[in-house]
Order: sequence, then structure tokens, then C-alpha cells
Amino acid sequence: MKNRLKLILALVLGALMSSSSAFAEGPEYKVDASWPKQLPNNWIIGQIGGMNVDAQDHIWVFQRPRSLKPVDLAETKHAKCCIAAPSVIEFDAAGNVLSSWGGPGYNPDWPEVEHGIFVDGKNNILLTGSGNKDGTLLKFSRDGKFLAKFGHQGPTAGSQDTSALGGTASIAFDPQANELFLSDGYFNHRVIVLDADSLAYKRMWGAYGKPPADMKLPNYNPKSAQFANPVHCVRIANDGLVYVCDRTNDRIQVFQKNGTFVKEFAIRPETHGTGSSYDLAFWPDKNQTYLIIADGADGEAVIVRREDGKEVGAFGHYGKQAGQFHNIHQIVSDSKGNIYTGEVDVGMRVQKFVPNMPPAK
Amino acid sequence: MPMSNRSTHLAVGLIAGLGLGFLPHPAAAEGPVFKVDPSWPKTLPNNWILGQIGGLTVDGQDHIWIDQRPRSLTKDEAGAAQKPPQSKCCMPAPPIMEFDAAGNFLKGWGGPGEGYDWPEQEHAVRLDGKGNIYLAGNGAKDQMLLKFTTEGKFVKQLGKLSMPLGSKDTDSVGRVADIFYDAPANELYLADGYGNHRVMVIDADSFAFKRMWGAYGKPPSDDNIPMYNPASAQFANPVHCVKIASDGLVYVCDRSNNRIQVFQKNGTFVKEFVYDKDTRQSGSTWDIALWPDKNNTYLLMADGTNNLIRVIRRADGQVLSTFGTGGRQAGQFHWVHVMAIDSKGNLYTGEVDTGKRIQKFTSNMTP
Repeated sequence: MKNRLKLILALVLGALMSSSSAFAEGPEYKVDASWPKQLPNNWIIGQIGGMNVDAQDHIWVFQRPRSLKPVDLAETKHAKCCIAAPSVIEFDAAGNVLSSWGGPGYNPDWPEVEHGIFVDGKNNILLTGSGNKDGTLLKFSRDGKFLAKFGHQGPTAGSQDTSALGGTASIAFDPQANELFLSDGYFNHRVIVLDADSLAYKRMWGAYGKPPADMKLPNYNPKSAQFANPVHCVRIANDGLVYVCDRTNDRIQVFQKNGTFVKEFAIRPETHGTGSSYDLAFWPDKNQTYLIIADGADGEAVIVRREDGKEVGAFGHYGKQAGQFHNIHQIVSDSKGNIYTGEVDVGMRVQKFVPNMPPAK
Repeated sequence: MPMSNRSTHLAVGLIAGLGLGFLPHPAAAEGPVFKVDPSWPKTLPNNWILGQIGGLTVDGQDHIWIDQRPRSLTKDEAGAAQKPPQSKCCMPAPPIMEFDAAGNFLKGWGGPGEGYDWPEQEHAVRLDGKGNIYLAGNGAKDQMLLKFTTEGKFVKQLGKLSMPLGSKDTDSVGRVADIFYDAPANELYLADGYGNHRVMVIDADSFAFKRMWGAYGKPPSDDNIPMYNPASAQFANPVHCVKIASDGLVYVCDRSNNRIQVFQKNGTFVKEFVYDKDTRQSGSTWDIALWPDKNNTYLLMADGTNNLIRVIRRADGQVLSTFGTGGRQAGQFHWVHVMAIDSKGNLYTGEVDTGKRIQKFTSNMTP
């Protein structure tokens, strides 16, 4: 009897230990496949270039109508479905479309490939692109009225050029200094900072806070002296630390706002392909304890401790089923800790994930 | 000849799309209403990932069998199988996989082996309820039909990997898309196919040729005739489905002619129905599932070009409702290719091109 009890205990303990989630630290997530609702107007969405959550917990999506194939579009096959949706779409947390505008030709400098989107402190929408000629940051009102731009279209003149961008992937905003931080990008190898009102150039830096360079260095090196292409995300934490995704070097570098290097984390450094550190969202507790990283090559969302970069959990799996990821490209969180993701290549969808606990405020 | 009304569908689609989808418009319609169950299937074991879903069927135990295409995976999707591995995920799953209704993976096997010609591109799958499974492919050289036990042991082959032999040849098949087993006569009906232009019937044990026919029950031919013609004298390629209803009527999907033709088991033409006749590209009639009540009152029809499923009254071919739309979200379709229904009215779908997934839909009606 006693031996039997021991055996049962051992079995239970073994089962608990082998289930990594049983003792896991941090939130666990479950897909909410009912989000978003069916789009209006027979629309279909293409690749998801960028995503951002605004102060009202609305989700802004910057998608690529031109990435849709003839098989997706009604007119080319005399079929019922579908019509390409506008590039900029605003959703609420319940999955309703609230507003939409933009698309190829909407503005003379409209990006060739839609990528970065950010709602700044004045409720303006900032957009960038990752195409060969995308050297421009565009600023629009929330309802799509053109306001201002930085840079110009045309192949980049390189990471030393402070008059234009080189395929900027991502945008962050620092309300204290009223500055924009750009991860620049698909062709340049830098973070560049602009004044959020005048869009005047302020400063820039490369890996380890050194002056940016455009040397030809191998990818997949988490100790590389230079950012690889693309410099794929820039996000600012509440404590002022600036997080930069050096995607194909499988790492995240952390800086002060002035560009001083603070620390770095390798994320699954054995990853090749398109790299492991695509984008990151903050777990929205008071200390932003965790980073939730979109790992596009591995098809997972990876939860790491912000303090030391230690992986404490992951969710999702490469694939096409609900809750899986085909090239997860963007990840954002709202104030309640809900996660929204966007996929590229033939993924072409947005998904919502709900946490098992509220963030401690 | 009933025809679904394009403008009505468009209007319904627009109304539903304008955020009024919560209005109970399907409740007013006759026939079952379906809802996606995004929790099916569960995450696959062994770090596996699915490719295109060539074929899908449900057996007598309401288990779901798929015939999927590991070779359709891209390098990024099969990242763990690259040498050296480029990412954590994934390994290609085996072509033949069995699932239960709860989404558990039960068994998997298949691929090239000794003594048989594995298809270049996996397509048809069907069980006979006697422990056998029949497979066929739609690759350029797939002029064969294979029989295995459900455990994956090779039993028999008709035809072989070769250049096409045409719709007159009775010792081979021409890239068969679908197989139906008729238990009373122990016969296999083949939708033949991507290369040939016929329905062919063979004995399920001996694989002996029994009979064959083309459109309108005429002798099959391989004339070069334009597609997208719902009055065509010939089946277009692919002849994409064959299913037999409880009253013995044989339903054939003439996919690129946007029609289904209905026959008696001896090949006598009975009637035909046309759906969204203006559809181009891959056509509108991809696969059929029979609603599992006694009379098979409804037909469900997968349309991978319009990316929807029609609920059809079998008696007169009338479209009662449709569900699904193009897209990658749960419950949407990208090239919904094959479909099967279990005894409880749960519908399972498989997608090709870059769709590469299986989905489950539950219904609001008990058959």
C-alpha cells in the first residue's frame, strides 16, 4: 500500500514536472478565434506589415493589399470573394472595424511595402515602409488626412544619411521628450530619432550604441558589431529603456534613450532562416515584467523576463490552424494584457490571445 | 436547372459583412447551419506540420482520415527538417493521418516504399469499412490506384507511375481525384480525374474493370474542349468528386465546368445542377458531402474558388444558404478543397494552395 502510494506520488510529480506550464512563471495565453469579426464590404486582408495599440486599446493594423494574389481577389476569377481591404484598419477589442483608409496611391510617397505604424501622443498616425524605395515617414491625422513627412522615396543613401530612411520597420514614441524612435531598417543598420512635431533629425546609433555602419557582415551572430537587416522593432518601456529587435542576429539590444548601450539578450540563437526576434510587446503590469517576443522563424510567441531575457514560456506553433503562426511578424499588447498578432508571407491574418491572469497594476 | 442567384448572394454577403451578421439570417433558411470549432484538431505530436490537404474522409467510427502533402511544405515551414535545421519547427507529418472527433491524432503512415508506386502528389483517400484504405494521386505520372490496410500495409495496385494512357485505357487511371466505395456491390467509383475525363468503376477486391462513362453518361473522350461550359459534352479536368447517396444516385463534380452531374450506378445520366456558372480559375464545384440523415436531404458543396460552402437541397439542387469566405482566419477558407461529414453532422474541411489546414464545423441540427 505504502509503495503504491509512493508510486502514485512519483507519477503525479513526474506528470507535473514534465508539463512545463505547471510551474511556469508569467502569463499563459489562449487564442480567441472569434476575433476579429468577419470584415465588412467583402474585404480580405493581405500580409500584416505593422500593428499598434492606441490609448483606447484600439488595434491599428497596417496591411498590404498588394500582397494578395489573384486567387484571393474576386475580379480575377469571376468569384464572390474578395476585395482588398484598405491598408490602415482600426479594430476594437471586440473585433469590430471602426475606421479604415489608405492604400497604394493614397499619397505620392505611399510605401511600396506597408510596414511600420504608430499612433503618437497626439493621436496622429505614423507610417513607414520596407520596400526598396521606402525612405519616407508619413504622418496622417487619425482619419487619414496627410499632415507631414520626413525623408523621401528612393533607394537609401545609407546609414549615414540623416535626410531619409532605409526601409524603416517600426516606430516608437517617447512622450517625455516628444521624440520618435525608428528602427531603420530593412536597408540601413541603425536606430534614428526625430522630433515628433517638426520631424527634425535628432540622433542615431548602431549596435552597442556605436555609430551605424553598412558593412557586409554575416547574419545569425548575436555578438555582431553591427545590426543586421532588418532592424525590425523599437519599443520603449515605461522606465525609459529602449528595446531594439536585431532580427536576423537573433537578439534584442537595450539602450538608454540617448543611445547608450545597456545590455543584450540572445533569443534562441540557434535560429537561422528569417531570424527569431521579429517584434516584442510588454506585459502591461506596473514593471512590465515580461517581454512577449514574436519569433517568426520558429512560429511561436516567446515570453522572456525583461530583467534578464530568460525564457519563461511560449505559445503558438508554426502552422495555419487557429492559434498557430505562419511567419508571425507583429505582436502588440493592450492595457489588459491581451495580445494581438499579425502574420506575413502567406499567413495574412490577425489573431487575438487572452491571458490567464490580469496584469498587476 | 436551378442556379444560385449571384446578386442575391452578393447582397446577403454584403449585409452580413456590414456588421449585421449577428442577425439570424441563417435561422430563417432551411437546412443545417454550421459554426467553426477552432479547437480542432489539437496541436500535432512530434513537431509535425501539415501541407496541402489532398484528400479527407470520415470512416465508420467517425474518425477523420486525411491524405496530405508533405512535399508541399516550404523550407520555412519545414525548418526543423533542413540540414542543418534553420528553426525549431517543423517536421513534415506523414501523408496518411487519422484523427478522432475530439481532435486527437491517432495514427499516421505513408510515403514511398518497396513494392508500390507512391503518388507524386497525394489526393484521394477512402476506406471500405473492412480494414482497407484506397489512395490515389494527381501528380503528372499518377496513373495508379493503391490499396493498403488501415495500418499501412500494402495490399494491391492498379496501374503505375507512367505517362498518361487516356480515358479509353481500362488497366490504369488518370490522376484520380476522389474514390467512393459502394458496399452493396463491393465496387469502387473513381473520379478520374486530373488527366482522364471519366467515372470509372472497378471491383474493390480484384480491381477488375467493370464500367466507365463520361459526361451525360456517354463514352468518355479526351477531346480538347474549353472549360467553364456547364453544358459541355465532356467532363473537364479535373473530374473532382464522386459520391453515392443512400438512394443510389451518383454525384460527380465537374469542377471547371461549374456543375455536378447525377447518374444511376450503371452510368445512366439523371440530371445536372450548375452553380455560379460565371466562376473562372478553378471552377465552383470542388467536393460534396451528403447530410447524414436517412434520405441525405442536403448536399454540402465545397467551392475553393469562391471560398465558401453551399448548403443545397438534394432533391432539386437549390442553394439554401452558404457559409465561409476567403481568408486565413478560423472559419474562413483559402482553396477549400475537400470535405467530409460524420454521422452526427460535423463537417470537416481541408485546404490546398497555401491554405494547408483542416477545420471542423459543428452544425445546429441532429441528422
